[in-house]
Amino acid sequence: MSVLTEPRAGKAAKSWNTASSAPAALRVPVDPNRGRKRMLWVSAAAVIVALHVLAFAGTDFDPALLVDGWQGMARFISDAFPPNLDWETVIKPGLDATLVTLWIGLLGTTLSIPSALVLAVLASRTTTPHPAAYQVSRSILSFFRAVPDIVFALIFVTAVGLGPFAGVLALICHNTGVMGKLWAESMEETDQGPQQALSTAGASKLQQIAHGSLPLVIPQFVGLLLYRFDVNVRSSLVLGLVGAGGIGLLINQAIKSFQFDTMLTHIIIVLVLIIIVDQASGFIRRKLAV
Amino acid sequence: MQQAALSVSSLAKSYNGRTVLDDVDFQVHRGELVAFLGANGSGKSTTLKCVAGLAEPDAGRIELDGQQLAGLSGRQLALARSTAAMVFQKIHLVPRRTALDNVCAGGLARVSGLASVSPMFFSRQLREEAMACLDRVGLADRALEKVGRLSGGQQQRVAIARALCQRAAVLLADEPVSALDPNAAEHVMALLAELAHEENLAVAAVLHQPELAIRHADRAIGLLHGSIAFNAPVAELNEKILHTLYSPERNAA
Repeated sequence: MSVLTEPRAGKAAKSWNTASSAPAALRVPVDPNRGRKRMLWVSAAAVIVALHVLAFAGTDFDPALLVDGWQGMARFISDAFPPNLDWETVIKPGLDATLVTLWIGLLGTTLSIPSALVLAVLASRTTTPHPAAYQVSRSILSFFRAVPDIVFALIFVTAVGLGPFAGVLALICHNTGVMGKLWAESMEETDQGPQQALSTAGASKLQQIAHGSLPLVIPQFVGLLLYRFDVNVRSSLVLGLVGAGGIGLLINQAIKSFQFDTMLTHIIIVLVLIIIVDQASGFIRRKLAV
Repeated sequence: MQQAALSVSSLAKSYNGRTVLDDVDFQVHRGELVAFLGANGSGKSTTLKCVAGLAEPDAGRIELDGQQLAGLSGRQLALARSTAAMVFQKIHLVPRRTALDNVCAGGLARVSGLASVSPMFFSRQLREEAMACLDRVGLADRALEKVGRLSGGQQQRVAIARALCQRAAVLLADEPVSALDPNAAEHVMALLAELAHEENLAVAAVLHQPELAIRHADRAIGLLHGSIAFNAPVAELNEKILHTLYSPERNAA
């Protein structure tokens, strides 16, 4: 590098010494890899275009179909209006079920804290006691993350039957995987100084983690926890569709019995819940960040 | 002469084939403050890190308070090493915790069970000892304040209190005042000298400013290219010696 820049500096200095009015200029060297870089860009673009062509074909992507079928959609929506606002048969059961959805999201989040915490400590390079523990816990986290919560729900339904409990169990499993990974990553990013200082004081590995590492990451941990609560409440809606209780179940029933006006009421209730949860967790996270 | 609190002999260390320490011998006795001087890369920080266990020496013997470190391993080695406490340039306290909780953490080697998990479970005995340590560095009135709210100089004094709570015989300080303003640096250095002279600790401090060493230390050890080039009372430090110690840096710059 210095070989390239030195002559340029030298020439620039000379032109200033002679006090010429034209600004110093030097030809920009040609990048010897320019051709190869250009080839790389072109082939990358070609691959991306090819993938999209395959994807359009594979998903029967056809905007004309959407234009032709607009009446079906209009009929569906006009059937849904006005929403059915009957308190006894629609709104009250809807609110009760929404509360169940909220409880599923809450328990699915909080009950995964212990398992996520243990796995995060083992799966963070800065706190893991052994490389083998690191690899094993990383694999466990990947597994829980890779299996969608809806698949966990279907499995648990076979054990504990239809209902919210299966939904809670499913969320605990999936959320352990996601939150454990997020926590492990935020732990790897934090300052290791205090942990190191405690190691020189003769503190055990557990003590170093409890008094040196964890207290530094608590704000990040709480922020990620609230974010996951937000996501889990929305996931528990979908879990309702496969029989795990909550408002999702009611929406599914309304669609199946063609009561689209009832469905619309439920969707509005869900919308309000989502907005409230989103705003509340956002508010707390902003407060924590300060 | 009494037995040295810290005794190092034939210490050697190299990183990727580059020799950092070559046959380093020295002793630090209780009751004295020894300043380690030298240019960047002369090996003064590495020396302290080898003693504290933050770097692994290639060869050499380290003796802390009469106990040989070679041959020990695991928990025994950690406990033997805790005879030496370390104070860092970057302080390394937990800013969100109170000064008192941070000082208590220095005594973790003596606690077990629940207290290992949270400061909530620290015993009254440990808290009172930590308070005494904070009082020793002049910060008893800030005990319940979060460390992040204290000034740099106060934070470094809390870190020194944490080292005291470790009940160490040897205090290692790696550039303890490099991040502090001159006034705070003066205060911290005076405290380190006081701890050596009044509490009978063996204090070894890596310093970047020879003037601080001359004002506060009893003895200076000068390192040049990983070897000891000077080891005598600070009164014997002069321009010529300092020039020799710091000339490699001038050549490089």
